[in-house]
Amino acid sequence: MSPLWIVFRKELIDAIRDRRSLMSMLLFPLLGPVMVSVALNFTAQELDQNRDVELPVVGQEHAPQLMAFLHDHRVELVPPPDDYLEAVRIGDSPMVLIVHEDYAERFRDARANTVELVVDQSRTAGAGDRARVRHLLEAYGERLALLRMVARGVDPQLAKPLKVQSVDVSTPAKRAAIFLNLLPMFVLLAAFIGGMYLATDATAGERERGSLEPLLLTPVSRGAIVTGKWLASVLFSAVTVVLTLGLTLVALGTIPLEEIGLHVDIGVTDVLGILLAVIPLSFAAPAAQVLVALFARSYKEAQTYLSIMIFIPTLPGAIFGIKPLEAQPWMYPIPVLGQQTLLTSTIRGEPTPVYGFVLAALGASLLALILVLAAARMLRSERIVMGR
Amino acid sequence: MIEVTGLRKTFGGVVAVEDVTFSAPDGRITGLLGPNGAGKTTTLRVVSGMLQPDRGEARIDDVDVLADPSAGRARLGLLPDARGLYPRLTARENIRYYGELYGLRGKALGKRIDELIEMLELGHVADRAATGFSQGERMKVAIARALVHDPPNVILDEPTNGLDVMSIRSLRAFLVRLREEGRCVLFSSHVMQEVSALCDAIVIIAKGQVVASGTEEELKVQTGAETMEDVFVAAATEEAP
Repeated sequence: MSPLWIVFRKELIDAIRDRRSLMSMLLFPLLGPVMVSVALNFTAQELDQNRDVELPVVGQEHAPQLMAFLHDHRVELVPPPDDYLEAVRIGDSPMVLIVHEDYAERFRDARANTVELVVDQSRTAGAGDRARVRHLLEAYGERLALLRMVARGVDPQLAKPLKVQSVDVSTPAKRAAIFLNLLPMFVLLAAFIGGMYLATDATAGERERGSLEPLLLTPVSRGAIVTGKWLASVLFSAVTVVLTLGLTLVALGTIPLEEIGLHVDIGVTDVLGILLAVIPLSFAAPAAQVLVALFARSYKEAQTYLSIMIFIPTLPGAIFGIKPLEAQPWMYPIPVLGQQTLLTSTIRGEPTPVYGFVLAALGASLLALILVLAAARMLRSERIVMGR
Repeated sequence: MIEVTGLRKTFGGVVAVEDVTFSAPDGRITGLLGPNGAGKTTTLRVVSGMLQPDRGEARIDDVDVLADPSAGRARLGLLPDARGLYPRLTARENIRYYGELYGLRGKALGKRIDELIEMLELGHVADRAATGFSQGERMKVAIARALVHDPPNVILDEPTNGLDVMSIRSLRAFLVRLREEGRCVLFSSHVMQEVSALCDAIVIIAKGQVVASGTEEELKVQTGAETMEDVFVAAATEEAP
């Protein structure tokens, strides 16, 4: 067994005995699937048109026809809470409908009527229900107008000189991608988080505990020491990526995607493609972490730098969320960006070129190599023993 | 046999070692005595090939350490100032790791580890994780791993730091044993009693220079002092500019 593998094996044993290292590898993968699953289940519920909507109404008795209309469209009318404004404000009720006392009188005289829908636009919970009730109220108003115009011998078309009809061209797969955009971010994060603790502990931690100098006194080359430590955190990172991806796929299986009108079809080749693109990132991220942790003066300083570095894998996701970019060939070889692009288009069910996966893998591998060489160089400097 | 000639080392303009020359022969315990900051650790780091000197030479058994640090290290066991263990590994695993890094394998390694555990009286903690070890136990494991490759030359940087009387006594006995085996033992200290109790020859370093060397008796004659403490104070202050 070469010195490199001796170092590798020791770091693995050490990390497996360390609860913190193990937790970052085993617990993080649960986070993504649970969040995606909760978010999508929630959306499914929200969009379920067959469900009754509960609507608190103030002054139900003033508008019996409107109430009957709402009731026919699966709106369950309930008495309003005492302080309904406050109830909406604090989120107890998603909305409250107010029918004024003069409604019946104005209705009889065929005058314009106003009903108030109390909502809190800043809350996303119940947005679907609110849209549905608003839509029903508008539909009722339009029906009323139509009846009144016909009664007066007016062609109802006169009142609607322009009709807007939106045609939704997004495929179900594309709509799914909006929700599933979380998946690439979690997979990329997994590459960064999985080996981070090991990478820090084996470098900055080793120095802080005073075991680095004796280690460097052995005849083993600095390159072998760095490589062994790096590969151990690569293994942790890769296992975390595989677990995250696997558990996310399991979670997707439990979500009633068809009910949201989503069609997610991730096949074996897609999974292999994702792994091919992301695993090289599991080589690059720990390399960067080893380098940064060696550079840091102390364990705490290393932790500070590395927790800032965690933002890197979330950046492309955040930017794409604000300004969606079409996949361009130049994106593929750029580590993190390339992986994000490939993951997003794979999940959307868009065709992804094979060279994209190859370029992404090459880009991240090259970066990993450069960073490991830099880390070995840093370990060879005198300052590593002396501190800074 | 460790030989250092005309050593000079600066760190960004600050002179850590000005001019150090001494030799530590086989079968002897040589003490490197000097106040804190005198340049002892820097000198030992140059000898182990960890630091590159600005000038001068360091040889271990006629191997030029600066030209071939690996060959030098193979003949040297060094207990550095930093003696951290891996807290999640047992004493035995800590020693085994170093044995493997020094290229030892299989039965030979197992036998050597058992030998060191017996020699250093580590039997009762050998298979316990190092996290709860006392200073003395930690130091012993650090010595064991430094000597796992059975080196003919042994350097210990301030080995008695932080140890209680019992641990110091057992360390002394251990060093005497190393001498009897014919090894070259070099150890640094800022405690005169340590050095005078144990050493066959003493090298006094102050402000990066060797200010006196010889046996205890020779040093007393050289400086005209009565006790080792007086020798130390005289030597350390005399040469100061």
